[in-house]
Amino acid sequence: MRYVWGWSAMIVGIPGGLLYYRYGKLWNSFLQALGAEVVESGETTRSILNSGVSKAENESCLPVKVFYGHVLALRDKVDAIFVPRLVSVRKGTHTCPKMLGLPDLARAAVEDRIPIIAPTINFQEGMWANYKAVYSLGRLFTHNPVRIIRAGVKAWREHRLYLERLTLGLDHRSALRGEAESLLCEGRELRIAVIGHHYNVYDTFTTMSLLDRLSSMGVDVVTADMVPEEMRRQELKRLPKEIYWSYEQEIAGAILACTRHRLVDGIIFMISFPCGPDSIVRVLCEQENKRLGGVPLLALVIDEHTGEGGFLTRIEAFVDMLWRKKGERVREREAVAV
Amino acid sequence: MKISWPHMGSLEFVLSSVFEELGLDYLLPPPSSQRTLELGARYGPEFACFPLKTTLGNFIEAIEAGADTLIMVAGRGPCRFGFYAETQRRILEEAGYEFRMVPLEFEPGKIPATLRKLRELKQGRSWSSLVRAIKFALSKAYLIDRLERQALHQRYLDRERGATTKALEKCYRMVWEAGSYDALRRVESEAFDLLRSVPGVERETVKVGIVGEFYLVLEPFFNLGVEEQLGNLGAYVERNIYLTDWLRPSGKNPVAGHHDRDSEEAAQPYLTHFVGGEGLHSVGGTVLYQRHGFDGVVHIMPFTCMPETIAKSILPQVSRDLGIPVLSLVIDEMTGKAGVATRLEAFVDLARFRRRAGERGLDYSLQPAF
Ligand code: SF4
Ligand code: SF4
Repeated sequence: MRYVWGWSAMIVGIPGGLLYYRYGKLWNSFLQALGAEVVESGETTRSILNSGVSKAENESCLPVKVFYGHVLALRDKVDAIFVPRLVSVRKGTHTCPKMLGLPDLARAAVEDRIPIIAPTINFQEGMWANYKAVYSLGRLFTHNPVRIIRAGVKAWREHRLYLERLTLGLDHRSALRGEAESLLCEGRELRIAVIGHHYNVYDTFTTMSLLDRLSSMGVDVVTADMVPEEMRRQELKRLPKEIYWSYEQEIAGAILACTRHRLVDGIIFMISFPCGPDSIVRVLCEQENKRLGGVPLLALVIDEHTGEGGFLTRIEAFVDMLWRKKGERVREREAVAV
Repeated sequence: MKISWPHMGSLEFVLSSVFEELGLDYLLPPPSSQRTLELGARYGPEFACFPLKTTLGNFIEAIEAGADTLIMVAGRGPCRFGFYAETQRRILEEAGYEFRMVPLEFEPGKIPATLRKLRELKQGRSWSSLVRAIKFALSKAYLIDRLERQALHQRYLDRERGATTKALEKCYRMVWEAGSYDALRRVESEAFDLLRSVPGVERETVKVGIVGEFYLVLEPFFNLGVEEQLGNLGAYVERNIYLTDWLRPSGKNPVAGHHDRDSEEAAQPYLTHFVGGEGLHSVGGTVLYQRHGFDGVVHIMPFTCMPETIAKSILPQVSRDLGIPVLSLVIDEMTGKAGVATRLEAFVDLARFRRRAGERGLDYSLQPAF
């Protein structure tokens, strides 16, 4: 790449969709530490969704449509848009094909009018290739290797901190801020796992603030990040065929761990229409859940037409059902005790 | 052990020839039909890809007909295809069918396991006879592909509609019945003669290329006979995927006539990374067609297919830049043949019009309506 800028800092846009809900902190602090001026497209809004839906192909999944919207929102405000290509984030796995082609999709979305900065991260090829990719990304902004390395270390630390906060029960927003008024899981009576891709769980607009609503209904929420990694790994090892999608591994592992160990009273599996990997993993999870005699599992499929009313009714019905079930179990236990 | 596998274009001739050679029992699923589709859609997961459902329907009908061992190729992504066998096994077991699924994987790490499975499948026949049978079947497949290609090139000249298709079907049978390399050589010249002797007419040529997801491109029943329809509409048709090109994953495409690398390079300005399935080659293939003077490209994709959705998002830009019309056909169980026919007709008309305009040196701009 050969973008030459003068002394003024380059304005880089980070679209707030898809993997922003995982690596946003990392990207932002790395670019800022390199001296770039970072503009984020912020949270998803109605107008972002609408512009994405009208620009993207109709067959795309909802998060990709949302992503298009974020890219378009940045188009006229920045010098370049940052859309890394994450091919694989764990050895032996891949991300979804849509993520493999994401920078090219972004390029098509802006019709080549502004450059897309797209470093390729691929753990299949060993760490060295990744270091090199990050280093050449840094070279776009500075020629000082020490500065690049320092920026990398700092960004990585903040990223780890962010992930750690997620595991402690903060949601995406408060994990970014580093403070929270309340935790998702505070030891209330009823506990529900909300599991899915990060962008399907933490995007408050497309999920219609599901997490907040559950909290206000007095329900504890467990996300895939809060299920200990070792437990997820154990579950994955039991499967007859290894799942080869990086993020799907987390999802399946978390759902199966929740069912096997009864970590929760119910599970909501958040799926975007029409997600390819989720359609497959859903079959697997529903079956294993049934086989284990597990917990009630609600697969919630959302798309751009999902109405708030119907969505809420389904959630409320599910939560009510879980309360009833819980009540029965408590009563049974009391009866036995008497 | 009654072995079966899903239909995919001319695959049935190839695999059955292997088992025939070895003298093993096998069973072809009943020909794909509306019922296959309904079964697949009923048992298949919501918004799973279309080929998963159709092959699931084939499996169900094969089990009903008495098959007990199902073979399927598996792999490890990044597309869903690698997970078909496992998903279908789960679905069929839950539906209460009795069978054994044998997923064959060809990654380096999985070769020993695959060899073990093949040992079971060959039921005591020697390895050398298995290899011989596969080699022979491959030569048959290669011949079939070249015959199909000939049919694609000449169908639009048919004096009598459907004559080439009928001749091609006869050719399939002749190839399938050939029992030795000598016979196959004889069949080769006979079959080509037969195809070429189909009476034709003089006609203006309009060239249409086909790209898309490999199963749908290869499977005429489920792609609603796009090739044949295009031929009948008067188009010289070419496609960038043939069965042998896929069975020999060397990257060289002896039938389609280009190397995978060519089409990857051609795709570079638009799509720079492998995205699973045929996505990259759909984009690259379109560019290559344009370079070879084609007048239009039909892109066939199953609904929700991930790699082809990416291709579909990028193809409009290719079309605009290179000035070649591209028609993306999204196919699923709801797609009606009539609707596809109208769109193809309009498309071939557009391609023909543009060719004429081009020949007269007229300036034409592309309507991005497709
Ligand atoms: S994993 Fe699913 S939701 Fe995410 S980009 Fe891929 S298809 Fe879309
Ligand atoms: S290429 Fe498309 S249709 Fe084929 S398995 Fe992949 S997603 Fe499904």
